[in-house]
Amino acid sequence: MTDVLDVALRLLVVFVVFLTFPLLVGQTEHKVMAHMQGRLGPMYAGGFHGWAQLIADGVKFAQKEDVVPAGADRRIFQLAPAVALLPYLLVLLAIPIGPGEGAVGQVLDAGVFFVLAVMGVGVLGSLMAGWASANKFSLLGGLRTAAQLLAYELPMLLTAASVAMAAGTVSLVGILDAFEWWWLPWQITGALVFFVAGLAELQRPPFDMPVADSEIIFGAYTEYTGLRFALFLLAEYAGIVVLCGLTTVLFLGGWHGPWGADGLGWVWTLLKTAVLAFVVIWLRVSYPRLREDQLQKFAWTLLVPLALAQIALTGVVKVVFL
Amino acid sequence: MAPIPGSGLAKGLAVTLRTMTRKSVTAQYPDTQPELPPRSRGVIGLFEENCTVCMLCARECPDWCIYIDSHKETVPPAAPGGRERSRNVLDRFAIDFSLCMYCGICIEVCPFDALFWSPEFEYAETDIRDLTHERDKLREWMWTVPAPPALDAGAEEPKEVAAARKTADKLAAAQAAEPERTAGTEQAAGTQRAGEPGQPGTPRQPGTPGQEGRA
Amino acid sequence: MSTAATAGALAAGTAHRAAESPGFLSPTGVEITFLLVGLVTLGAAVVTVTTRQLVHAALWLVVALGGLAVEYLLLTAEFIAWVQVLIYVGSVVVLLLFGLMLTRAPIGRSPDADSGNRPVALAVAVAAAAALVWVVTDAFRTTWIDLDGAPSGTTEVTGAALFQHWVLPFEALSVLLLAALVGAIVLSRKAKNGSEPDTTNAGPSDAAARATGTRRDQEGDR
Repeated sequence: MTDVLDVALRLLVVFVVFLTFPLLVGQTEHKVMAHMQGRLGPMYAGGFHGWAQLIADGVKFAQKEDVVPAGADRRIFQLAPAVALLPYLLVLLAIPIGPGEGAVGQVLDAGVFFVLAVMGVGVLGSLMAGWASANKFSLLGGLRTAAQLLAYELPMLLTAASVAMAAGTVSLVGILDAFEWWWLPWQITGALVFFVAGLAELQRPPFDMPVADSEIIFGAYTEYTGLRFALFLLAEYAGIVVLCGLTTVLFLGGWHGPWGADGLGWVWTLLKTAVLAFVVIWLRVSYPRLREDQLQKFAWTLLVPLALAQIALTGVVKVVFL
Repeated sequence: MAPIPGSGLAKGLAVTLRTMTRKSVTAQYPDTQPELPPRSRGVIGLFEENCTVCMLCARECPDWCIYIDSHKETVPPAAPGGRERSRNVLDRFAIDFSLCMYCGICIEVCPFDALFWSPEFEYAETDIRDLTHERDKLREWMWTVPAPPALDAGAEEPKEVAAARKTADKLAAAQAAEPERTAGTEQAAGTQRAGEPGQPGTPRQPGTPGQEGRA
Repeated sequence: MSTAATAGALAAGTAHRAAESPGFLSPTGVEITFLLVGLVTLGAAVVTVTTRQLVHAALWLVVALGGLAVEYLLLTAEFIAWVQVLIYVGSVVVLLLFGLMLTRAPIGRSPDADSGNRPVALAVAVAAAAALVWVVTDAFRTTWIDLDGAPSGTTEVTGAALFQHWVLPFEALSVLLLAALVGAIVLSRKAKNGSEPDTTNAGPSDAAARATGTRRDQEGDR
């Protein structure tokens, strides 16, 4: 019975995190982006500095009519947001936030493979949405999504493999247990490549060609309204949380910190994740969108070679010095 | 151009970060009133005591948005046995702000300083027909007209002030020549009164600009 | 627990075993799940080849491949399961959908996508399935998964087996894949030269772009 209770509790915690953290990131994005542009951002909803803006947005989305275009493939169109959102919920299960088995939703033996595999599935949602909308801009968005995923999945995998090589395990918990502070400079190239490729996979600016509003309206999500559109947005922000959490765990040492790693490890994880989420927003505000061909070139001619170089470096250090 | 690869990227990040730490420029308008520059063109106020119904404003208005009705009254002669005088009395003065394009020509042409720019801008209506504002409303806006900004330090003295001073100087000289005469002082007082209409700020009542229209 | 073992257990009757070992997820529970997921996978696979809507076929393929991953999980082969999701669902199907969308992906039925080789395909499929079932059943008839010891499907065990006992086939496969890769590039370049003989001095990026174009043409023709 305690097993059931334990599982239920873990699932509940992960679910709550899944529902709240993306909103936190979204609200932070509202405010940080506004101030970076010399604005104030939302100020009314909720009274104090518009803290409830996203709740208000959610209520608004829920009230909107759920429109399915006449020419669309109805079932796939309606299924797509769930396919886009659910993988991130699953990934969140596997990310450890503190030392020990108590601080992770589910300990997985092949954690790295699990998170990367499931994150790749989320893109299927965008593809389904793009195809089923019966809209040429949506289809273009879907195509770009697919092309982007194919280009950026590889450097992500390679850099994750580099960390797995360094730690000698593909379990996220195992990687954290093996972490030493000097891995940070050792794997810094991999970390950057992983983070950038992750941004591209999430279609965040400056890699948001699949939803480039000035070219293809809103890409695969053009025809969506109401709650289904909100689910796509939630997927994007859940993706940010997952990517930042994952980068923290793989490259920044997760719960390791200069002090207090025993009791306050989870604080370190959350802090690092929050800083990375801030960087995600920061990059969005600072840089213009790349062109589609620049994006592909960037992935194949820069990120993949860098990732391979990182693997080589990891291998050399691992064999020669350890 | 860039000495270090990526320095441009870093510069971009620095710009946004610096902006974030600075005070934002957003004006919280309905909560706090905007600080409008002097001579803001909000709405046109009418100081009807100065209006002689000369119709210049209505004729010059490019949009024909000024409505003026008047009638003529005869006033008894000032001195017994004199001729009766006639006077124009303003019956209606209205500006259709749905037509007005805020060119300010009416204000420029008014020879008697009866029209003024008011910084008041919150006079939106839900019906376009309600935008024709009558003289009572225009008079209300008159009290929101700020005092004219001070002249530049090296600027020429205003004409009316210069004229008044010249007269006063002349009188003072005359008084110095004939100190026992009292008629001179009376004349000087009259001249000073004549200088007053040149001050648009005089009719202003206490009350900060931009408050009356909303209350 | 292999397919054969599950089948055997199911044949023996699952009811009394459930009573013997009550637990949160009893072996019987696993077996029932295995069977249900297997049915779903089989159904999805059948729909994949019978549906007349191209993109639906690709999406049913996702269900089939995902179902297979779940089956791997239930057989304690965790590593294989996630690799299955990563490679097939995450990459192969995305590539498939990409190709479909790039060429022809109409919403609704596409009757011209049906080939006349249905009976032949069915025969081949049945023959292949029969051969596989026979071989697998025969090979693993007496093999049982030891659930008490170290899980036999973990990354460590799989890796050790792959790079110690099966390293030669692994390398052979690598070379095969590399050869296929090189062959694909050569073929696409040759096709370009055949159709446009005057573009011999095109740059590498140009050539890549043309290769993509050629492939698109071929797929369009198909």
